[in-house]
Amino acid sequence: MTPRKPFLDALVALLTPQDVLVSCLGANARWLPHMKVAAPVFALCDSMGAAVPLGLGIAMTRPDRHVVALEGDGSLLMSPNVLATVAAAGAPNLTTILWVNGHYESSGGQALPGAPVSWPALARASGIAHVATVEEPAGLSAGLAAARRAPGPAVLVLPIAFDPAESIPPYSERPEEIRARFRL
Amino acid sequence: MSGAQSIVRGLEEAGVTLVASVPDTWIGELMATVRGSAKIRALDVAREEEAVAVACGANLAGGRGAVLIQNAGLLNCGGILAGLVELYRLPCFFIVSLRGDHRDPVYYHAPKGRVTEATLQAWRLPHAVADKSGDLAAQVKRGVEFAAESRGPFVLLVSGEDLA
Repeated sequence: MTPRKPFLDALVALLTPQDVLVSCLGANARWLPHMKVAAPVFALCDSMGAAVPLGLGIAMTRPDRHVVALEGDGSLLMSPNVLATVAAAGAPNLTTILWVNGHYESSGGQALPGAPVSWPALARASGIAHVATVEEPAGLSAGLAAARRAPGPAVLVLPIAFDPAESIPPYSERPEEIRARFRL
Repeated sequence: MSGAQSIVRGLEEAGVTLVASVPDTWIGELMATVRGSAKIRALDVAREEEAVAVACGANLAGGRGAVLIQNAGLLNCGGILAGLVELYRLPCFFIVSLRGDHRDPVYYHAPKGRVTEATLQAWRLPHAVADKSGDLAAQVKRGVEFAAESRGPFVLLVSGEDLA
């Protein structure tokens, strides 16, 4: 299984200034300020479960932009209801990318409840038609391109390796800075 | 003009573009009126925290979002109010049905009615109780503007009587 960072590197390389990136709390949000991202970024440092509905509000308000919302499996397990909301809203300019490593990484690497949740099945059962699993970073280009073309909202599931030794940088931007820099 | 129509007129005049909602009987009635607006998009969400995030997203993207929920749902929102609205200083205007106060005929809402305003005070949420004897549209506009100018939350509590 591939570690997170190569996936994040591949994703960031695919984003354009016309995209919008919303990140859930945790490792991705902590890496992003240290990366050159062409798209405006709104990164959360709290509020598990907020990234996808935040992205939905942006997508509905700016249909001319493609919004990519990053969510973790722990966050989504807390609020899987959002998948039905996204499906019903039908915004074709919203792609949710779900990072699946089975752990609450931000809070010390505790394991999620040990149920074998099928994330693609859950997304499909919630009414999202375009769901794909991307196993390797090299597949992200085609996966995101197909998500952009989908007539409705899309979900990409990324199984990633849990690495307790990953040298994740600390949060290095304050919420005020993140909000002030976020301009569409 | 009904109270519900006055409230929606206030939302329109305040420039609200997207309303996210989880209904109860009263909020459902209000949302039915929102759906008749040509200026406001109505979005049904599955849980109240989603409504907060959707409204914040609309505000971040240059629109104006609002949240229409019951007080039970507001009580669910402590985490996202602290971790998104307050932390990032984002405008977020709420219309919340005040179930369980002395005007509510349904007995099982009473426990929520007893704690709603005390919780708003404990959470330090700016709020007002709608007054149908005054101009409801103006009260809504003031709340939306307060949220925008303070870059934070504002809660307008409404009763079923206000919508008639």
